[in-house]
This record gives sequence, structure tokens and C-alpha cells, in this order.
Amino acid sequence: MSVMTSTTSFAPELRQRRRPSGFAYIAPALLLIALFFIVPIASLLLRSVLEPTPGLSNYAELFGSWTYVRIFANTFLVSALVTLLSVIIGFPVAWLLAIIPNRWGSVLFAIILLSMWTNLLARTYAWMVLLQRTGVINKTLINLGLIDQPLVMVNNLTGVTIGMTYIMLPFIILPLRGVIKDIEPGILQAAALCGATKWQCLWGVLIPLALPGIASGALMVFVMSLGYFVTPALLGGTANMMVAEMIAQFVQSLVNWGMGGAAALVLLVVTLLLYAIQLRLFGVGRIGQEGQ
Amino acid sequence: MTVPFLQIRGIRKEYGAVTAVDDVTLNVEKGEFLTFLGPSGSGKSTTLYILAGFENPTSGDILLEGKTLLQTPSHKRNIGMVFQRYTLFPHLSVGENIAFPLRVRRLPKAEIDEKVRRMLKLVRLEGYEDRMPAKMSGGQQQRVALARALAYDPPVLLMDEPLSALDKKLREEIQYEIRRIHQETSVTILYVTHDQEEALRLSDRIAVFSRGVIDQTGTGPELYANPATRFVAQFIGDSDFLKGVVAATSGGLADIHLGDETVVTGVPVHGKATAGGNAAVMLRPERINLSRTAGTDRAGIAATVNDITFLGNNTHVATVTSANEALSVRLPFGDTAINGLTTGEKVWITWDPATTHAFCD
Ligand SMILES: Nc1ncnc2c1ncn2[C@@H]1O[C@H](COP(=O)(O)OP(=O)(O)OP(=O)(O)O)[C@@H](O)[C@H]1O
Ligand SMILES: [Mg+2]
Repeated sequence: MSVMTSTTSFAPELRQRRRPSGFAYIAPALLLIALFFIVPIASLLLRSVLEPTPGLSNYAELFGSWTYVRIFANTFLVSALVTLLSVIIGFPVAWLLAIIPNRWGSVLFAIILLSMWTNLLARTYAWMVLLQRTGVINKTLINLGLIDQPLVMVNNLTGVTIGMTYIMLPFIILPLRGVIKDIEPGILQAAALCGATKWQCLWGVLIPLALPGIASGALMVFVMSLGYFVTPALLGGTANMMVAEMIAQFVQSLVNWGMGGAAALVLLVVTLLLYAIQLRLFGVGRIGQEGQ
Repeated sequence: MTVPFLQIRGIRKEYGAVTAVDDVTLNVEKGEFLTFLGPSGSGKSTTLYILAGFENPTSGDILLEGKTLLQTPSHKRNIGMVFQRYTLFPHLSVGENIAFPLRVRRLPKAEIDEKVRRMLKLVRLEGYEDRMPAKMSGGQQQRVALARALAYDPPVLLMDEPLSALDKKLREEIQYEIRRIHQETSVTILYVTHDQEEALRLSDRIAVFSRGVIDQTGTGPELYANPATRFVAQFIGDSDFLKGVVAATSGGLADIHLGDETVVTGVPVHGKATAGGNAAVMLRPERINLSRTAGTDRAGIAATVNDITFLGNNTHVATVTSANEALSVRLPFGDTAINGLTTGEKVWITWDPATTHAFCD
């Protein structure tokens, strides 16, 4: 016991003494990261205010045109829906992963990982096949007599939302699983003995305790969705574009780096804003705060 | 005859090949403070968890006031529990934690506030209502947990080693708090610990657990004076055992040979005692006499002093018998036998046979 205390009291000194040399080691890496991240962003920012003429004309056009505003609105709508659906579907799955016995847990875990590792295009095309007019889903629904006409689920935002929710699910399940696993099981047992029903345990204890995890997972999904390209490009229609597709068009078809940069920066600013709100509400590293 | 308040009837719990609780039967009276005492893995927590409804027994039944509890889910059992680990809701303040069981019962707000106030007073944490659990010490957290568990007036309060994470001084302080709260509320308490001192200090009765069964149930003095098994004798109080052979038995008493020289007569004997069979004779260090001149009778045993430790109000003398068995003697301060005693010295040890016990396998 006394040995323990003495090592912990020495630890801060050791760490402080080591810091300079540690920093020297990672400095080149930091520099490289800075180059890789800051240079492209800075160049985008510059192009958005310099091309074709210096000024804010690109931004004025972006916010002044109904077409562009609608693309942004679509993007936010789809991202919000995808985030909501991912949380609603992901939470029970994460909870299941956290509580079921190891053997079954790892099977489920493997399925999720496997789907993550499968080629993105392949997965998206698979959804295309499932969702199309003559796809399995429509056929089943018609055979069951639930619908007369096939539902239109590709080349529109429905398809994009479904496809993206599927892609994003692991990004919310995996961190949430960790947060839920860290919750002391005794806390839920105590809640039950206090008289809380399953439902009251869920809303009064489990969800509040998992909230930091839900929030960080949701933020990640939302931000990734804002700039997602592949799924909207394949499952979406030309009438309902999303921002990433728009940027691609600006840059590839129209060779308009100014407009592309401006759109990208709007997304970046929104992302940073959301991140700031998240920090405000939950702080850094307070995820899974515990009793002691 | 009235039905016992809480009946545990032949509870058995198996986890695959492991039998955690073998056959536990126990009646608890209303208002009683009963402690499950036993070593790690003896099935104390499992029994408590079955009472709480977190586990279902493989067989057996639990009755509260004559009615079985097994079909009632945890949240409807109305039982209170304080856990070994801290289980306050970290996102709720102290007041909200205590109010939680009342809120889920949808009591009116005024009533909840009044009850929270009374509970905080009971555990002496007035003024801590708005504190978050993370900002409190372990002892304070367990007191809040106690307040939360008592807030809904449960008929039974379960406590699973609630103090094991605290240091010794704090532990003793809270032990007295628990005793006081038990007296003030007269709630029936089932308490789990593996610390005999804690069990003796708190309990009306103690059930000694050993490998999934209760070896003996009784008050502290009963268990100390009349242990039913060698295990209980070892667990309650200090004891040494000397190997012997039964010479004769009659009416629960036996004459026992210890080595060639010593014969003790009229020792209470437990287990299957047959003449010629082996027996272990239990000696309590504080109930034996040490003298420096060999006696003439055969009711004593010769030993050599190995170590002498002064412990304030008593002195501990470690000796070893001629059969090479360790035998501790504890002499009160001022005992003249100590004066000038040195290690390596031969001493003569005697005792009153009626105060010892012999255990046969
Ligand atoms: N969920 C479980 N699965 C398998 N075995 C278990 C389980 N829970 C308990 N056991 C086993 O049952 C036995 C009794 O466990 P229990 O927790 O009741 O002991 P205990 O007396 O409370 O011990 P401790 O003082 O260490 O808390 C142990 O051998 C334990 O390994
Ligand atoms: Mg235990």
C-alpha cells in the first residue's frame, strides 16, 4: 500500500521531466500533420475569396441562389435524419453488444466490423439492388399486400437516407458500446431495486449516463454525413443533390475552385460550430463520468 | 405459531458446474440485524442477489411474511440495497438520488421533499442536497446510498460489503452510524461481510458461510463460545488446533490424548467422535494459562517459547509444542508469568477443558 502511494506521488514529477524530450520526438510529426491539414484548408479558403475575382462574390452567390440553398437544406435534412436514425437504431444494438455474453457479443461485433470493412461501393450498390423498383424490398411488400405500387426508394433522398444510415451505424455503435460497457452494472441494479421499471431505468438512468457517448457519436455521424459523397451520388437523384456532389461538380465539371472552396468552407464552419457546442455541453474527456 | 418474517428455504444456486449456494435455510425476525459472514466465494453475495431478485435460485424459496418473493421482479420487491461499489446515479445530485425511488413511485413533490430532508438528517448529511456524488468521499457516498435505500421504507435492507472500499477508521465510524440507523428505523438488515470484527460489532446474529452452506447461525458470543464446526472456530476469534486421538466419549464430551503425555478430559466434542479416531482440539490464545514450572498432572502440555510480542493491553507469546504445533498464548498486561520470559524457554500450558472444543471429521 505504501509503495503504491509513493509511486503515485512521484509520477507527476517524472512526467514533467520527460515532457521536453517527448515533445522533441513528436515535433516533426506535428509539423507534418499541420502541413497536411492546414495547407489544403488554407488554400481552399484563399481560392474561395480570390477566384475568379477577390471578394466575397462566391459566398454571395452561394447564399443568394435558391438552388444552392436548397442543396444545403437537403444536406442538413438528410444528415439530421441519418443521425437520428443511427442513434435510434444504434443505441439498442450498442446496448445489446455491451450486455450479451462474450461469445454472442463477438459474433455480433464481427458482423458489424465485417460490414464496415466491405468495400463501400459494393455495399452501396447492394442497397441499390435492394431498394430499386423491382428489388427484394418492393417485391416482398407487394407480395404481402402491404402496397400496390412499388415504392420509389432510389434516386431520391429516401434512398440516400437509408443507404447512409447503414454506412454510419458502426460509427455510433462502436463508441456507444464502450460508454455503455463502462457503466457500473450495480447502478442499474440499484435503480431496479429503487422501484424503477425497465422503461424508467432506460430513460432515467441508462440514457442520461450514455448521453456523452450518444452526443459524440451523433456529432461524428452528422459531420461525416454533411460531406458524404458516394452514397448520395449513387442512391440520390439529380434533382436532389447534396453538398458533396455540388462541390464535385464545381471542381470537376465546371472547374470553379472558388465556388467549391466556398461550399466546403461553409461545411467546415458548421462543423466547428457544432463541435464547439458539444464541447460546451459535455466537455473534453468527460465521457462515461463515474461515481467516484 | 406466527410465521417468521423472512424465510430462506433450501436455496441453491448453480452456475453451470459451479455451486455458488448449496443449501441455505434461515429464518430472520422482523427488525433483526443479521450478518452473513464468510470467506470470499462462500456464496454470501449470491444469496443476497437472490433476495434482491437479480438472480433466480436453482431451487428453494424465499418468503416474506409468508408469501413467496420469487415471482416478484426486483423493482416490485420493495427491498433496499447498498452495494459494495458506489452505485449512486452520477448524473443526479444527492437530493435527486434520494428522491429517485420516490419519483418513480410518483409521490407528490411536497412529500418527496420532506422525505429527502428526513433521510439526509438520518444519515447526517444535511446541507449536501445539491452536491454531485463525484464530489463526495466514499464514506459520504455510501451514506447517501443508505439514505436512498431507506427512503421508501423497505421491509428489508440488504447490504453487500458496503464498507469494504473504505479505510479502517472511516469504516468503524460508519459502522456505528449503521448501528444507530438500525436502532432508529428498526428496519430488518441482512448484511454481508468477510470481516469478523465488523460482523461482531454490528449484528444481532451472524450466519457463518462456508462453501455455499451456513455452518452455524447464532449471536457473536454463542459462536465464539460454542462453535459448531472447526471452520466457525477458526473464523470467529483466534484459535489454534492441536492434533489428538479420542480415548473415550460419553454424552458429547470426550477424553482426548495429545501426544503421549497429555490427556484432557471432558472436552465438548463435535462431529463423529469414536474412540481411537482423530480429533482437533481448539484452544483460544486468551483462554489458556502459561506457567514456567511444569505441572505434575497430565492435563497440560509442554511448549517452547518462540516469540514474545508486547501489544499494549496484552502480550502475545508464540510457542511451539513438542509435536511441533504452533500454539499462541495471549496474556493480559500485568500477568506475572511474563516477567523475565525469554525465547527458547520451556513453558507449561494448561486450560479449562470445558472452555475448549474438539472437532472430529
Ligand atoms: N455469475 C456467475 N457465474 C459463475 N459463477 C459465479 C457467478 N457469480 C458467482 N459465482 C461463483 O459463485 C461462488 C460464490 O460467489 P459469491 O459472489 O456469492 O461469493 P461471496 O461469498 O460473495 O464472496 P466475496 O466475499 O468474494 O464477495 C464463487 O465461487 C463465484 O465464483
Ligand atoms: Mg460478495
